[in-house]
Amino acid sequence: MSKKLFLFLSLMVVFATLLAACASPATPAGDSGQPQATTASGEETAQKVTLRVLVHQNPPMVAFMESFNQQFQDRHPNITVDMSIVNANDLSTVSQTRLSANDIDVLDIFGFANGAQPYMKQVDPPNWQQLIEAGLLMDLTGQDFLQYYDTPTINDAGSYNGKVYAINLGRVIYSGIFYNKKLFEEYNVTVPTTWSELVAACETFKAADIPCMTAGGKDGWPIFVGAYGLLGAIYPDQAALVEGLWTGTIKWNDEKSLEMWRKMQVYARDMMEEGASGIAGDAAPGRFASGAVAMFPGGSWYAPAIEAAQPDFDWGYIPFPGSDNPEDNKYWFGKYDQGWAVAANTPNKEAALLYLKEFSEPANYQAFVDAVGFIPTQPTAKLNTKIGAEIAPYLANFRVGYEQYWVAPKGAGQYANPWASYFKPFGTFDDPQELADKVQADLQAGLDAVK
Amino acid sequence: MSYHFGRGWSKLTPYFLLLPGLFFYFLISLGPSMATAIYSFTDATGIKGAPVHWIGFDNYREFLFMGRASLDNLDALKRTLIFSFMVTTVQFTLGLIVALIVNQRLRFSNIFRTIYFMPVILGVVIQGLMWSLFLFPIGGPVAKLLEVFGMRSEFLGGQPAEAFAWVTFIQIWANLGITMMIFIAGLQTIPSELYEAARIDGASAWQVFTNVTWPLLTPSVNTNLLLNTIGSLQAWQLFLVLLGYRNGTQVLGYLIYATGFGQTSGSVTTSFRQGYAAAASIVLFLLVLVIGMTLQQLLQRREKRILG
Repeated sequence: MSKKLFLFLSLMVVFATLLAACASPATPAGDSGQPQATTASGEETAQKVTLRVLVHQNPPMVAFMESFNQQFQDRHPNITVDMSIVNANDLSTVSQTRLSANDIDVLDIFGFANGAQPYMKQVDPPNWQQLIEAGLLMDLTGQDFLQYYDTPTINDAGSYNGKVYAINLGRVIYSGIFYNKKLFEEYNVTVPTTWSELVAACETFKAADIPCMTAGGKDGWPIFVGAYGLLGAIYPDQAALVEGLWTGTIKWNDEKSLEMWRKMQVYARDMMEEGASGIAGDAAPGRFASGAVAMFPGGSWYAPAIEAAQPDFDWGYIPFPGSDNPEDNKYWFGKYDQGWAVAANTPNKEAALLYLKEFSEPANYQAFVDAVGFIPTQPTAKLNTKIGAEIAPYLANFRVGYEQYWVAPKGAGQYANPWASYFKPFGTFDDPQELADKVQADLQAGLDAVK
Repeated sequence: MSYHFGRGWSKLTPYFLLLPGLFFYFLISLGPSMATAIYSFTDATGIKGAPVHWIGFDNYREFLFMGRASLDNLDALKRTLIFSFMVTTVQFTLGLIVALIVNQRLRFSNIFRTIYFMPVILGVVIQGLMWSLFLFPIGGPVAKLLEVFGMRSEFLGGQPAEAFAWVTFIQIWANLGITMMIFIAGLQTIPSELYEAARIDGASAWQVFTNVTWPLLTPSVNTNLLLNTIGSLQAWQLFLVLLGYRNGTQVLGYLIYATGFGQTSGSVTTSFRQGYAAAASIVLFLLVLVIGMTLQQLLQRREKRILG
């Protein structure tokens, strides 16, 4: 080979490699990169469209979405729904990445929460606010389908600066306990309405060699989420609790809070079954439905999974009785769960809005809440589910919980949270006073740092 | 050896051939590293379209000196060093012992090599899943074994120190095969005549090891020590898969991941803080750089002394 030919070939290889590296990926005909034309109705799409939808992992919800997507595609043969599923912990990161890459049309977004309050100092805006301010979420104000949802939900869980950016699809409760009706009858245990009754019930079951409670402790938070009932019994106004912690009028080691820590220790040490830390969040409903455990403190969203695991299993759901006064225990604490938002830069705007419109139609929405067990955010929808019937008696007392208000001050230590999992056997603490002092010290360090 | 590509422009041929490699090196490795260093001085969120402001050393100040959180970060730094020391020393020693054993002309030695190497090819997720099942506290195999001795444990979900020890053990198990293979490669380069000569001179097995094997294994020793040290300082995946976000268990690598990618516990909505995560990354980079360079200097000096 002559030297000139060799040089020429070398240059060709170099430029071919560089060009290949810089080239855009091939886009198949009719793929989502193509903006679709609209018909006279403004709703139907003329060209083939792939609508990219992102949801978080929640088995009954995913099952419903698969059937809804099929129905949607049957009605609109030119639209193909490409649904991706991610773990709930990764949803915000994946949303951010795919929105930035303009690689998503419709996304699952949790109810807007953890916003900065006037009494908070040096806090960063929550991720949903960052996405809106970066212009990545579409303004949905004025869309017809908003009329189906109740106004407080639109305002509290999907609006920012007077504009609507998300429709929220349901509220969930995280301060309740599922209980095994058969075991309660068999051991003649009354359903507890006070803390003392709950302690007595656990002692009865443990004496019979039956674990009192289980939870999906492998995922961390399920160990302590049920115990938010303890927090709620002492501080029913959780927005005020967060303000009190920030302004110093409430301390995690004052006498009132200390009562909560003492009870949390009993919860972690005496009520939770040994080995709960190894059970995955998704596996816990199955463990409870197996009938081996008397109670399962956890969110109302677990109900469909319990029913799916053992359709004949007889269970009930009660507020976590954190107080010895039954009146203090008649509250549900929870959050706005899943919602829909649309990417501001989607090339498939018509299809995306059509997707939300059809999803929001009362019949479809009713089927959705029936499948996932959410408390509806459409006023015309009914609580048809078993969990709905269990929740209904105290539904008027639903309150948004502590986790949706709390924003940790920068500089706060890692223990500045009211979590039962800090106690042995899951954590290192054995003394409520010692833990309360540590939690307050970690919080105070942050408050002092941002003064 | 030198190559001649001719005169004039032809002389540039090798440099042109290097261009694609350099391009990808800048694109994939050096470019993002430099961007990370720059981002560490900003309040970047990682969101396209969000404004980015230059905030000087604020991220570093927050990471290293702000409130109790900075002390937690320093605890993570200490934990990283402990993890690295434990993994490096145990993995190195075990890898050497296993390599010496499977390098013997024994029956089935190839099968044992494969068995010891197998965890390496499994990948972190599979490794994590396997050990989660082994260490399942309700009726898992290890729990059953402990029951025989009247003991029980929450394993990965229990005391932070115990959970941390399990991850250290699993990290060693997962990477022992690589250390072993590097040592085997080194052992096979040692001429057999040296062993024969030593035996004829009446050297004991220990004398053969200390005077023949160990000095001539120096290149493999250096490679393994550097790989084990740097790899363990940067480790984070097993912490994510096995423990998640748990107080008292985080190492620096996982802390960076958790900060940069919004890993939290519970349903608290967090902010995207990639500028802050970038600052934490630079701290880890400097740690790896200082330890790695010092170690490399020491090892090179030792290699020169032994092999000339």
